[in-house]
Amino acid sequence: MAGLKILEGKYIATMDLYPQESREFNRVYPFYEHLRQGRFTTTRCKGCNHEAFPPRVICPNCLSEDLEWIDLPTTGRVEVVTEEEVGVPLGFESPLIHALIDLGGKLKLFSRIVHCQVGHLKEGDEVKLYVFPVDPVPIQMGRETVLKERVYYAFEPVKKGKSENQVN
Amino acid sequence: MMKNVCIIAGGMCAWGVREASLRDMFQEAGKACFDDNKAITNKVIDGLLVASAYTERSAFQTHLAPVVAEYLGIKPRTICARVELLCASGSSGIILAYGLIRSGIADIVMVIGGEKLYMPEKWEVFYSELASVDHDWDGPQGLGLPPPAFAMVAKQHMKRYGTTKEQLAMVSVKNRRNGLNNPNAQFREPITLETALNAKDIVPPLTLYDCCPITDGCAAVILACEEKAKDLTDKPLVYIKGTGQATLNNMSANMPSWTTWEALTIAAKQAYESAGIEPSELDVAQTHDCFTISEIIEYEDLGFCEKGQGGLFIQEGKSDFGGQIPINTDGGLLSCGHPFGGTGIRQAIEIMHQLREDATRQVEGARAALTHNLSGFIAAHTVLIYGREP
Ligand SMILES: [Zn+2]
Repeated sequence: MAGLKILEGKYIATMDLYPQESREFNRVYPFYEHLRQGRFTTTRCKGCNHEAFPPRVICPNCLSEDLEWIDLPTTGRVEVVTEEEVGVPLGFESPLIHALIDLGGKLKLFSRIVHCQVGHLKEGDEVKLYVFPVDPVPIQMGRETVLKERVYYAFEPVKKGKSENQVN
Repeated sequence: MMKNVCIIAGGMCAWGVREASLRDMFQEAGKACFDDNKAITNKVIDGLLVASAYTERSAFQTHLAPVVAEYLGIKPRTICARVELLCASGSSGIILAYGLIRSGIADIVMVIGGEKLYMPEKWEVFYSELASVDHDWDGPQGLGLPPPAFAMVAKQHMKRYGTTKEQLAMVSVKNRRNGLNNPNAQFREPITLETALNAKDIVPPLTLYDCCPITDGCAAVILACEEKAKDLTDKPLVYIKGTGQATLNNMSANMPSWTTWEALTIAAKQAYESAGIEPSELDVAQTHDCFTISEIIEYEDLGFCEKGQGGLFIQEGKSDFGGQIPINTDGGLLSCGHPFGGTGIRQAIEIMHQLREDATRQVEGARAALTHNLSGFIAAHTVLIYGREP
């Protein structure tokens, strides 16, 4: 594979499809720490009770900085499914399946669905949060470079076994 | 005292897969624009707005406007800056130029925009798209510029309003036909309904011809205050009558509705009110047909038909020449292609020709017209209204 010699082995933040998740670079880092614990969370304003997603450092309703972390449901119901088999971006495998999922009436997420084959996921199916590791980020700290682990999330069918056995 | 603002020149380079750099195409489009009106030279331009979204990713170039000024021999003194709103960068530049001229800060402004999207290796453009949606929250779900999102919109619109795949295909057949004689369009071959319906799936229900292509290209227009315009052109004056731009969300999770684009209804209302015009008074429009379903929803949310009737609107020929309001008369994004920063400017050029009555395919007696762009994850909408009267 051809490439630029000067960049060989270098981490390039502007080419990273995942966010900077660490405390050093992101004030909503607890979201990712919660993901590791299997929790799907966001921020709620203590002043006006507004729940925003994605999580914030100020309330987009009343502009208060006094926010708290709350748990969102980790299971949801599928409303619409889309299946992409061509033109899938680098970093993802074909087929790339997405669904609009209703998270307990709290939130509608357009999320990637993993562990699922084309034609299997249907409207009304239940899906659950799936957390997986992604590439760590090398961060310079003094003279050292420390690798910071990262995770991200998608959703997966709850009845995984069954859907894999359904051929039609 | 607010000034009236006219569009007095426009030109674009050939759009498609270009063997050219971003700065090559800025020069070609600038030249084409000056060639459209020999009374205007680079020496009389006092302001320059450059619309481009991917310049840092595809050309590794920030501070783009002075680069373009230098190459076009323009020495701006009122404004020299870049404007970015992805697919609506160009029309955003036109709104800003309009405001500067209307308020008296600038007199004659060039708005030029475009993109170099084809990279030496093709993966890079799809990868860069992950930065165009909400990078931290939608990008990591593999949502680039989003066939999946528009497929979902199409599925919901079909379910709720009975819109059919045939009606989607009719949009691409019409726009391909409209682009046939456009020398700068990326695609100049007609397609049949049968071809469109039997094309390979991109993301079902959207097939190949339901989606606009990836495009290299640039386009430019010149706006001037009415007094200067009268000196600088002997063609009929074309005025900007009103504008609107609205956004209600960026991340997909915060989309108020997938089948009624509420930000579009807000932007349209603002544009119609500022222009003092009703949708029924428009003679021609260029709308953002990034996908066929987009054009169908735009018929509805721009007020050309009732909600849910967009499929019938295309089926009954109401958006074709001879119909209620011919739409995408130069071929639209589906024919011309879509170099993000160039698209709003390309639309403005076609509308200028339609209202000057010198378009390639002319809508007879056109006096009032509209352009519309959507941008990002259906996250912002931009509407401009033009007319033969201020
Ligand atoms: Zn609040």
